[in-house]
Amino acid sequence: MAAAPTLGELFAVLLARDFRPEDRSLQVGANLPMARAAAVMASITSRPDLRVILGMGVNNLSGGRPAPPVHPFLFDPRSMVGEAVMVQERVFDDAERPDVFFVGGLQLDRRGNLNLFGIPDGEGGWKLRGPGGIALATMSTNCSGYYIVMPRHDARIFVEKVALITALGDRAERARLGLPGGGPRFVLSPLGVFDFDDSGEMRIRSLHEGVSLDQVQEATGFPLTSDGTPPVTEPPSDEELTLLRERVDLERTLA
Amino acid sequence: MTLLAGERTSVLASVEEALAGIEDGARVGIGGAVTASHPMALVRALAASGVRGLTVVAPTGGLDVELLIAAGCVETLIAAYAGMEGLAGVAPVYRRAVEEGAVRVKDYDEAHCIAGLRAAAQKLPFLPCRSGVGTSYTEINPDLTAFADPVAGQQLIAVPALELDVALIFAETADEFGNAQTTSAGHMDQLLGAAAKRVVVQVDRVVANDEIRKDPLRTWYWKETRVVRAPFGTHPYSSATMVADVDHLKEAIGAGREGGEALDAYMRRYVHGAPDHDSYLEEIGIRRIASLQI
Repeated sequence: MAAAPTLGELFAVLLARDFRPEDRSLQVGANLPMARAAAVMASITSRPDLRVILGMGVNNLSGGRPAPPVHPFLFDPRSMVGEAVMVQERVFDDAERPDVFFVGGLQLDRRGNLNLFGIPDGEGGWKLRGPGGIALATMSTNCSGYYIVMPRHDARIFVEKVALITALGDRAERARLGLPGGGPRFVLSPLGVFDFDDSGEMRIRSLHEGVSLDQVQEATGFPLTSDGTPPVTEPPSDEELTLLRERVDLERTLA
Repeated sequence: MTLLAGERTSVLASVEEALAGIEDGARVGIGGAVTASHPMALVRALAASGVRGLTVVAPTGGLDVELLIAAGCVETLIAAYAGMEGLAGVAPVYRRAVEEGAVRVKDYDEAHCIAGLRAAAQKLPFLPCRSGVGTSYTEINPDLTAFADPVAGQQLIAVPALELDVALIFAETADEFGNAQTTSAGHMDQLLGAAAKRVVVQVDRVVANDEIRKDPLRTWYWKETRVVRAPFGTHPYSSATMVADVDHLKEAIGAGREGGEALDAYMRRYVHGAPDHDSYLEEIGIRRIASLQI
């Protein structure tokens, strides 16, 4: 039996399972090794037609082609390998490419909105300043779907309402404004998997093994809903973990 | 025969010559892509020059922005990101300066940066962008204006032209006439140049014009250009042939987080105390530089 998965390995497997047949390209941003692993895992198994954009390199890994090595930075010059190179200046000129993106943030709210700007002080300045929105507004506007990956889960991060919106997740608002993309698919946290109901409210899709309803509610700044008693997140199988460890995450960045 | 006597003019320049004329209050664009391809030799020299009140357009900056803020050069930063990826989620000097109100930040999405630079390059007052509709961008950045487009009535954002006095850009090679070629992360560097009145391109190598002609598809050129040779000049960031220096970045981030005397000591050693780029490389050391070559 394979050793129990780390959080990063669990995230990678849950993401890899969720990609859809119509997804043509996955773009992995900075500092998301679990998303990278998920993209590689899917592309060497069930999704041979995927284009996976890792760093600046556009790759397809069908036919047993090995994944390019992991580098510490997204724009590492050694990542310029593959069948094409992503040119940042032109990457937004084809708004429907890529299909799928992965995001994180300082704050996430009940409606799925993300904040990467920071917390304003109410007087035109900043109580806490974040790194900036990078291309989150663009990607979240256009991608057919995106995954919200939150490495921590507490009531200061999962809030009723974000102080500022960098990426609009709110389903009702997106529809009202006619945003072309599909919005957030689901949220991963150390406690569970969350999605959004028809009215756009965050709900529990599953809780990770050993996590109680009280525990997740305690760590969340707004009431979470669920359809009945939420199921336990289906843990990675031995086959999935073996594949991940022996074929994908060779550098063990998720360990 | 005298009709054919023209000699082409070299645009090679020293760092000092190339940066001369960047005055207090200038709008300066800085190229690069997060941890790659920033013209750091030019940035260090600009930081050491004592210039004040700059508006810096650094779409995806990090240590470049940190050094200019630490040296007191920056009034306003226009950026989509200021950090060092996994090493520092937020660039620490920038974070402190913005929280203390010493530097004003205007938030732009990367696509806003591209739209604004294109507008400047096309001599347009603005270009429309859908990115940021429904977000707080227009609330926190008064330069961005929501409007209903006159064709389909869609809600869009007008991104004003990001006109630059000068763009500082890195390329691996150029000839002495300002034909630059890059083999690494270009990001929006070419557009930065097009949006600027003049361009300073820092290169690792100056090559013959015949070398440039072997691959003309890769050549960038702009109107008013100066070429500055500064080998390994992206350090501690990467170029096509050099990886980023993680240890040095950690040293800079540590000094930035601590601030005060620690930051002053870093700036003295690597910025104000190194009279030229070669002195900086000596301070870093040949063993370290050699270890970073791919």
